[in-house]
Amino acid sequence: MSFDWTTFVLEIINFLILVWILKRFLYQPVLGVIARRRADIDKSLSDALQIRNEANELKAKNEQYLTEWETKKEAAQAQLNAELASIRESKLAELETRINEEAERRRVLAERNRHEFERLTEEKSIAQGVAFTNKLLMRLASPELENRLYIVLMEDLQGLRQQDKHVIAVAAEEPGLQIKIQSTFPLDTSKREELTRSLHQVTGKTLPVVFNTNPELISGFQIDIGAWILHANLRDELKSFGGVLRHAG
Amino acid sequence: MDMPAVVFYVGPFGITSIVVTTWGIMIILGIFCWLATRRLALVPGKLQTMLEGLVLAIEDNINAVIPDHTQQVLPFIATLWVYIVIANLTGLIPQLHSPTGSLSVTAGLALLVFLSVHWFGIRSVGVRNYLRHYLSPTPLLLPFHLISEVTRTIALAVRLFGNIMSLELVALLVLLVAGLLVPVPLLMLHVIEALVQAYIFGMLALIYVAGAMQSQQESKKGNDI
Repeated sequence: MSFDWTTFVLEIINFLILVWILKRFLYQPVLGVIARRRADIDKSLSDALQIRNEANELKAKNEQYLTEWETKKEAAQAQLNAELASIRESKLAELETRINEEAERRRVLAERNRHEFERLTEEKSIAQGVAFTNKLLMRLASPELENRLYIVLMEDLQGLRQQDKHVIAVAAEEPGLQIKIQSTFPLDTSKREELTRSLHQVTGKTLPVVFNTNPELISGFQIDIGAWILHANLRDELKSFGGVLRHAG
Repeated sequence: MDMPAVVFYVGPFGITSIVVTTWGIMIILGIFCWLATRRLALVPGKLQTMLEGLVLAIEDNINAVIPDHTQQVLPFIATLWVYIVIANLTGLIPQLHSPTGSLSVTAGLALLVFLSVHWFGIRSVGVRNYLRHYLSPTPLLLPFHLISEVTRTIALAVRLFGNIMSLELVALLVLLVAGLLVPVPLLMLHVIEALVQAYIFGMLALIYVAGAMQSQQESKKGNDI
């Protein structure tokens, strides 16, 4: 173990120089960059905090906007619902009116159809009744029935009203006129003469009389005096009967 | 241990190999630090990360002991740690000896610690207040305070010198007795011992400095109360 004063003193000086060197080139730069980094980190944290605060403010504003928007939306929704309800009520009223009109129209149509059906049924019934009567009378047609109709004809001729006679007389004024008498069955002489006299009496003239047979009359007579025609047969009576029934229906 | 060899003379003063080695350490450290800290970036590289880790570790240790004056004492304490570690490890390089294996070096460092304790103490509380702590709690303890100042400084110097010198001596003896590769485990022990002794020296210096500064604060608090 030895001690060298020169080394002792130089080491003290060397160490102090080394302290300066390291302080100048190591501690200060490194601590400086660390301090700068910490400052940057603090600044970043401060900025981040500021950004977070701004974000929170924006979030709060956004939430407020959302709340206001929600309120407006609910108000608009309520208004829309009210308008829709009003429109629905008016549409329902209109629809009900149309339904009532349609129902009325259907009712009228059904009534008309029912009337038409009744009319058709009635006409069919009348036609059937006429056909039945026609068929029945055709089966009953006979000289006896015609004699009976002859009696009725004579009663009618005698029972003519004065104005009817006047019409016949006017019709008989036609020059060259012949009285045409059609019957289903041939008339005997006495009936022809009696009928001729009655006609002369009605017309007031002695017009020539022509007798013919016409089976289409079924039974009875048709007397033509110019434009005036007297029907006393079943065919025309049935026609008249059918027409009366139709007219009545 | 023999007297270190004188490499050259400057006038009457012989410059020993220990001083030359120290200069080499200073030059290498200075150039390395200058190169490494020329372009420090906020996003550090590997070397910058290592340097920042080293400085922050030292700062944390100092801050744990003396939180109010960390930046004030950091250059001195950190330089003690850095220099003593490198000086201790220099002995592992063939043909070189650890500067701390010389009592002249450790005595110089211990003297600096002794002076720095008073320097930081006086700077902290002033001359009168600092000197007053030698009389507290009673003036009867003044001789013991003075003896303590001297003995702990001597102990500081001798502890580091003895450990490093003995490590080199043991390694040399084992090398001579057992052969070339046998001292390798002992060299590993040398690394650990170098780190431990540097830490002990620096930590003791820190505690002495902190004691000087904080004891004045305690006495000030006592006077205030």
